[in-house]
Amino acid sequence: MTAHLAPQRFSRRAALALAAGLAVCGSAAFAQNNDPVRIGLIYSKQGPGASIGEYLQRGSALAVEQAGNKVLGRPIELVWLDEPNPQVSQQNMQKLIDENKVVAVVGGNYSSSALAMMSVANREKIPLILTGAAASEITGKSCSRYTFRTQATVPVQMRGLMPYVSQIGKKVYFLTASYAFGQDILRASRAMLKEVGATEIGVDEVPLNTADYSSYILKIRQAKPDVVVGGLVGGDFSNFLKQWNEMGMKEKIPYVAVAVTDTDFWDVGPQASGGIYVKPWYYNNPKNTAAEKKLTADYTRKYEHAPSDKTWSGWIGMRALLESITAAKSTDPKAIVTALEKWKNTEGEFPYYFREWDHQMVRPAVIVGVKKQITDKYDYFDVLKNTSASEAETAQAFGSKEEIGCTLPPL
Amino acid sequence: MLDTLVSQAANGLVLGFIYVLIAVGLSITFGLLGVINFAHGAFFALGAYVAYQLFQMFGWAAVVLAPPIVGLIGMVVEVTIIRRLYGKEPLLSLIVTFALALLIEAVIRFFWGADGKPFNPPAYLSGIVEYGPLLITKYRVAVLAVTVAALLALWAFLAWTPYGRILRAGSRDSEMVELLGINLPRVLTGVFGLGCALAAIAGVLAAPLWTVSPSMAANAIMPAFVVVAIGGLGSFPGAVVAGLAVGVVMSLTIQFKADAAAASMYALMFAVMLLRPRGLFGERWERFE
Repeated sequence: MTAHLAPQRFSRRAALALAAGLAVCGSAAFAQNNDPVRIGLIYSKQGPGASIGEYLQRGSALAVEQAGNKVLGRPIELVWLDEPNPQVSQQNMQKLIDENKVVAVVGGNYSSSALAMMSVANREKIPLILTGAAASEITGKSCSRYTFRTQATVPVQMRGLMPYVSQIGKKVYFLTASYAFGQDILRASRAMLKEVGATEIGVDEVPLNTADYSSYILKIRQAKPDVVVGGLVGGDFSNFLKQWNEMGMKEKIPYVAVAVTDTDFWDVGPQASGGIYVKPWYYNNPKNTAAEKKLTADYTRKYEHAPSDKTWSGWIGMRALLESITAAKSTDPKAIVTALEKWKNTEGEFPYYFREWDHQMVRPAVIVGVKKQITDKYDYFDVLKNTSASEAETAQAFGSKEEIGCTLPPL
Repeated sequence: MLDTLVSQAANGLVLGFIYVLIAVGLSITFGLLGVINFAHGAFFALGAYVAYQLFQMFGWAAVVLAPPIVGLIGMVVEVTIIRRLYGKEPLLSLIVTFALALLIEAVIRFFWGADGKPFNPPAYLSGIVEYGPLLITKYRVAVLAVTVAALLALWAFLAWTPYGRILRAGSRDSEMVELLGINLPRVLTGVFGLGCALAAIAGVLAAPLWTVSPSMAANAIMPAFVVVAIGGLGSFPGAVVAGLAVGVVMSLTIQFKADAAAASMYALMFAVMLLRPRGLFGERWERFE
């Protein structure tokens, strides 16, 4: 066999090579337009936060579905990683950026994890939309140009709740969780007590993952307050409600709290539920917008269950992201951030948006009270009012630049 | 002040008995099998969930079947997994049972979902009992009664029945027991099942008190380890004394310095470990010394 190539074979070979080359180029150009847009989700998959994580993820996934699973004409690929503790959440954030090459991340239910994730977002310059964390420093002294936050801050929610507290009575007992969120509540409430003429007669900071509250309840009973202002979270809060009711305190002393979620109550049942609360959204609020009512309908149809407020948070965070990517006509992080800063939702009575100088979503929260008689499986609340009634009042409630103390660096 | 102390101490004793019930299964499993069962909390959770399911399907009376069912599951686990850990180093059993705990939690989440399940005490047990400064819910009094009865039954079983004697002998000298013609592996399967059934009884009793959620195991496993460490691995009286001590210390700490409450049981464990490393009633465990 000689190595000498016959002219025809050579030209056929060349033709084949050329054809293959063209095909590759052509398909590469074709692939460019159909490359998926990857968006990361960081929500709890297991442990105490698992059910909250599920509602959040379903909300975000529904937003993607409602947008036709596409943005900028490209398919959307969601990558969902766990939020078990700040360390792993931070690692997962890094993983989403390095391995999955996401264009943005939506997630962060816990303030502690959120703060850890923000540092990665800032360093890697990838947009992060936090859908649950309520601690003030996220849009306060630790604020970041690449992080946006949907949940109203603790001071805003407390300010909405305080008039109800003072109506109930003047002697206040605090029962808060011993971490950033609970400390935030104490700090914000103590400042407001004087304004409404109330006094603090006792305080207990409860370690996270406390299962048994009987001793705390005995203490509260001894102190005889008019009202208990709480700051317990998730499973801890459910445990407390159950035991509060069992020890006969539910009817005797009202309990009020902020940043609660529907599952806290669904998990304990109608018997144990009671009190007045502030939360971002309620599915059965007659004043919900048409889009929100559609969200409720879609969710109920798909999962045979009412959506919790976390579903709304996951949904609005993802909606804001998708709408901003569409407005920016690009997945470049700087373009997305700029578009998010200009994003507005105008479907309700007055618009809400991410404030330019701290990326806080400026939107009233809703104040709800547990119904006296609960007959429906999921409808536990009466909506009392919003924390603020007009655009100006809302902007004022969220504080001025000097009060918040956030200065964002340039992009 | 005395009123306060009395009421918190009484509450702490009731809480302590719950911890004893959770811990005694763990202590027995270690004492008789030499296996540190990190999945003990998962069986606790499984007990609560099986009870919830039985209650949904058949009503309150069926709930008593939950511990035997979980005990049977425990026996299957023993035959398939735990058996291979005997005589091996303790670290191996810790790792394997930790993985088992995560598996059981995932299985629970798969079948029942991640949401908590509303589970309240039966109507005739709701309400409180007030006697001077003492305030205890009727349900907790019932839990106290059932726990004491269960502990007494267990003690009688271990001390007076032939099977109990075999268990105690097997822990001291398994070779001799086998030479006497007793089928030790079967006995050990029964012991592991018993430990799991005890965890399940605690889970059933705790379910109306604490929320029923897939992560409820965490609320049980940590106090269980602390109680067993303080009381001594493998010691039944140790588990009782340590459980009550932990309950009372926690309640009193909550009264005076609430944010140190969770740390208080670890501080107690630290103090006991420094003064008496084997635990209050622990025996020297020849196999590892």
